[in-house]
Amino acid sequence: MKKILFLIAALSIIAAGTALAADTVKIGLTAPITGSWAAEGQDMKQICELLADQVNADGGLLGKEVEVVVADDGGNEQTAALAAQRLATKGIVAVVGTYGSSVTEASQGIYNAAKIPQIANGSTAVRLTEKGLKYFFRTSPRDDEQGRVAAKTLMGMGYKKIAILHDNTTYAKGLAEETKALLDKEPVELVFFDALTPGEQDYTTILTTLKTKNAEVVFFTGYYPEAGLMLRQKKEMGFDVPFVGGDATNNPDLVKIAGKDAAEGFYFISPPVPQDLPSKEAKDFLAAYTKKYGAAPGSIWAVLSGDGFRVMVEAIKQTNSTDPNKIADYLHTGMKDFPGLTGTISFNEKGDRVGDVYRVYKVDAEGGFILQ
Amino acid sequence: MEQFFQQLTNGLAIGGIYALIALGYTLVYGVLKLINFAHGDLFTIGAFLGLSLLTAFSLTDKLGFAMGVGALVLMIVCLVGIIGILLDQAAYKPLRTSPRLSAVVSALGMSIVFSNAIMLVFGPNPQVYPHGILPTSVLHIFGLPFPVKRLLLLVTSVVLMAALYFFIQKTTIGAAIRAAAIDQDAARLMGINVNLVIMLIFFIGPALGGAAGVMVGLYYGQIKWTMGWLYGLKAFTAAILGGIGNIPGAMVGGLLLGVIESLGSAYISMAWKDAITFVVLILILIVRPTGLLGERVAEKI
Repeated sequence: MKKILFLIAALSIIAAGTALAADTVKIGLTAPITGSWAAEGQDMKQICELLADQVNADGGLLGKEVEVVVADDGGNEQTAALAAQRLATKGIVAVVGTYGSSVTEASQGIYNAAKIPQIANGSTAVRLTEKGLKYFFRTSPRDDEQGRVAAKTLMGMGYKKIAILHDNTTYAKGLAEETKALLDKEPVELVFFDALTPGEQDYTTILTTLKTKNAEVVFFTGYYPEAGLMLRQKKEMGFDVPFVGGDATNNPDLVKIAGKDAAEGFYFISPPVPQDLPSKEAKDFLAAYTKKYGAAPGSIWAVLSGDGFRVMVEAIKQTNSTDPNKIADYLHTGMKDFPGLTGTISFNEKGDRVGDVYRVYKVDAEGGFILQ
Repeated sequence: MEQFFQQLTNGLAIGGIYALIALGYTLVYGVLKLINFAHGDLFTIGAFLGLSLLTAFSLTDKLGFAMGVGALVLMIVCLVGIIGILLDQAAYKPLRTSPRLSAVVSALGMSIVFSNAIMLVFGPNPQVYPHGILPTSVLHIFGLPFPVKRLLLLVTSVVLMAALYFFIQKTTIGAAIRAAAIDQDAARLMGINVNLVIMLIFFIGPALGGAAGVMVGLYYGQIKWTMGWLYGLKAFTAAILGGIGNIPGAMVGGLLLGVIESLGSAYISMAWKDAITFVVLILILIVRPTGLLGERVAEKI
């Protein structure tokens, strides 16, 4: 008798467990919750959780609640691969993320093999979508697009001696090479093309070299911590060459690190900052976000993770299924001008977002990012 | 030529920092033959505590620049020194008689504990020291621009290193430390309290590392919870370069490493900076396996 009771109890616990598990539609999020890009990652988590709450308040998805399963990729490749393997076993139907291109690259193959549609939100390296992965998408634009805008902006400034500096990451190097290839065709001189070591603090050696090469403008394709330090050190050296940054310098911490007077006059190329998003969806979302967390999200990359989440929810809703093939097919061909937070969203056959999103910004004396 | 001198001073400034941190590695290694891998994180702790104290007491507003920074460095030296002693008591002392590898693994573990604790307490974002504490004026020496704050950085690290050198070479306590470094048992027989010497070592080393942390914060402005790893690695390299266990060696190694890095990246390739540095390190170790100033000791690791 005891045995039977025990069996019944055990079975009912298992049954309750599976019932609970089937109760929600799980969407994964890999984001750099820790590591040097943690500021971005924590915004991504907050945004996706807010959006999931909104979906659940509107009645959920396929008659169930949506649950965001967060995994920390730490902003590095090894952690990302482990996080991907862990997430893939947790019954998620789609995954949002992640930020850095090299980090996304480490997880791409794992999700694709597990047939989990993935939608990256900050990874702009061209080759990510050139591999023909069926289940890979991104809401962020590509570096060749950014390279085109960068080359155009640099040419438009009228300087003849241009320096390009990257940091050897997949993303920054890709963007630097795209831009270099375009500038090589123009009547300008490329006086410098090299990489710094990210994570260090002393960039005076590089700045001194740039000065001796008589660069008239410097295009830095790396991330905001290094850009901020360089702006500060170049001001201290009394070296007043204009700096232009790529989209990874689009973060308010840049001004904090550099100081307002050193950051003033810095240009960067980026999709619009959250506050400049034009659509009604974006305004409503920013209002809700600010209400819940007390401040607007810091950068556009986190908002792009929100778009990834919304796109996946829409695809599941429209196909009325969580079948990865149906979701991928819908995203490739079915989704047309979906009203995203960062503008309308459609995807081409490679999984790249269609349409142009890049703008040029300049930092003003107060440290604000002003759309040019 | 102007570029050469510019790059030389760029290298010396960062080299001074490497040297200060390298002293912590070398002191501990000298006495215990232990590589204290948590030392880089003690440096980070110094930088973060420095920022907290600076903003909490608005030291430089109340005491003026020189006194404020002096008081700050003094507080950090004491605090990080005490953390160093606690570290030794908690993680290394119980392993004193175990095989040497156990203590090294314990050191690696403590490094992870410290860096993650910093992240949990201060948050994962880069933190920024208030702007405009150090003077921003620029001196012109032989027509070469030389920022005053860089001079301050270099002078401070040289003074701290010189003070340590005289302390170890000229005082009785210094003699006790040297004796314990040569042979702990013999030192004990001579009536030296070796435990006290070890405690002192774990105060001085981390204290210098903490001071370096504050200096980095004040000088570069931005501090990150991960920065101890890179600085620790570089300083460890510097200690090896100069001959680990040897105090003037750590100073020479640090300054030399900074200069090699700076000139290597200026004249050869920037992207290959670290590779160039390590090639130089390997070459030096092939010619002098004990490092530049290292003496030949029968049994090191």
